[in-house]
Amino acid sequence: MFHWLEKNPFFFAVAVFVVIAFAGLVEILPNFAQASRPVVGAKPYSTLELTGRLVYIKNNCNGCHSQLIRPFKSETDRYGHYSLSGEYAYDRPFLWGSKRTGPDLMRVGNYRTTDWHENHMKDPAAVVPGSIMPAYTWLYKNIADVDTAYAEQLTVQKFFAVPYNKELPMADGSKVTVALADTLEGARASALEEAKVVAADMKDQSVKDAVAAGNVPEIVALIAYLNRLK
Amino acid sequence: MNKTVLAAIIVTISMLGFTYIAVGSAGGMGGEDWVNKLAVLGAVVLVLVTTFVVTKYVRQMQNDTAGGKLADESWDGIGEYKNEPPFGWAVVYFGMVIWAIWYFLAGYPLNSYSQIGEYNEDTAVLDKKFEAEFAGILSNPEKLNEMGESVYNANCAACHGLQADGMDGKAADLHVRLSLQSVKHVLMNGSNSNLLGTSMPMPDRNGLLNTNSNALITDAEIDTVSKYVAGGFKGEGADVFAGTCAACHGADGKGMEMVAPNIAEMSPSMVEMVLNHGKKGAMGAMPAFTNLTEVQRKAVAAYVASLSQK
Repeated sequence: MFHWLEKNPFFFAVAVFVVIAFAGLVEILPNFAQASRPVVGAKPYSTLELTGRLVYIKNNCNGCHSQLIRPFKSETDRYGHYSLSGEYAYDRPFLWGSKRTGPDLMRVGNYRTTDWHENHMKDPAAVVPGSIMPAYTWLYKNIADVDTAYAEQLTVQKFFAVPYNKELPMADGSKVTVALADTLEGARASALEEAKVVAADMKDQSVKDAVAAGNVPEIVALIAYLNRLK
Repeated sequence: MNKTVLAAIIVTISMLGFTYIAVGSAGGMGGEDWVNKLAVLGAVVLVLVTTFVVTKYVRQMQNDTAGGKLADESWDGIGEYKNEPPFGWAVVYFGMVIWAIWYFLAGYPLNSYSQIGEYNEDTAVLDKKFEAEFAGILSNPEKLNEMGESVYNANCAACHGLQADGMDGKAADLHVRLSLQSVKHVLMNGSNSNLLGTSMPMPDRNGLLNTNSNALITDAEIDTVSKYVAGGFKGEGADVFAGTCAACHGADGKGMEMVAPNIAEMSPSMVEMVLNHGKKGAMGAMPAFTNLTEVQRKAVAAYVASLSQK
């Protein structure tokens, strides 16, 4: 074998490449796999949160807002703890963004509340003087697509083993289980339950009426998603 | 003349020619700018050195024959001379060995860099600077107020507004202790805002007895007493307040320790409790601001309390 390789420079080069590449994989892959494991406290998105995430993507919020806090004091003072790669374990795709026209939203749930988002999305400049963010009035009328979010949940559970219906450890030592419904009807019902909690803190009567009638306006789903970004 | 040397001369002349055409016409050769001259000189030296070195080694490959004592062994027909390694090469080799030992044992373990490590160091330095600069601030009301205002503008103004007016009822107006809407909401629904540092719930209207009439508080009484409290304890409703609220909140509404919070005025300790625990009331929810340091929270509390006293 080695005699033969020594006399065939091309295949010898290939063999050298294979050996070095293998050594590289052995060094890199375990570290990589370890770093991409979910951190303690990371949990998959519930049906309504994932619906809101789709609304976030649909309206291209990530075009102006990043979700990545860098380890600089100026950033951690403003936004909270710097981001860890394991926190994005259930983000498909991740929404790091590439430019901050608006502020970072990685942990917006820690310092903004439902009623603030409701006021802000209706007329940003009324809450933040001088804001150049446009109003997102259609979010209050459009009905969110819960079905697609449920399909995505099923997909990631099946193909990426995302731990729905499993106990997950939280940072404070407690356990949390993110439920995934067995049927589409069940998913719609659980999303509506979550929506009722959010809508209870809102003031817009048409949104409240829509939720009471069994629909989930996009704004409710989006706020549920933003509130869970912590 | 040897073919290789001829080729080298042709390459050198043509490359120098290209250089002249490329920069000479743009005034790069002469003029006052010595940086340009230096760059051109560098280009010329580069061409000459490159062609000289390449020619030397090509000639060496063409003409040189190996010499020296041949080793006895032959590996697949490939022999080896028993020559000493070149001196320069040997020096570099041993130098590398020494460097590698240092790098494995000390260089990498002691000097390895991480972004998080740099962040931690930066943060420690800045925290120390903050502590040194604001060491006695808690006993200096003026400076405390100043810090409070700047922390307020950065953290609180997003909801309460730069004027602290709550932006048309989107958040609490901090110039008054309680709005009419808030008092009514609390009387109707009760309250448990941790304003005393512990959970101390106030009952909703079904637990509020008016001792004047010995009956539960009525709609009309709620209206009157709400206006009385929100209006700064003036006008009608003093009797309802005395009969229903004073038992816990005190006759003057300034609260009692461990029993009920001050509802007559903004006190720094009350604001601090709101910052520590957050709040949920008539207008919406406010998150806790535990990301602020204790000094910053005390500063905001002092600043917010001072707003209503102006």
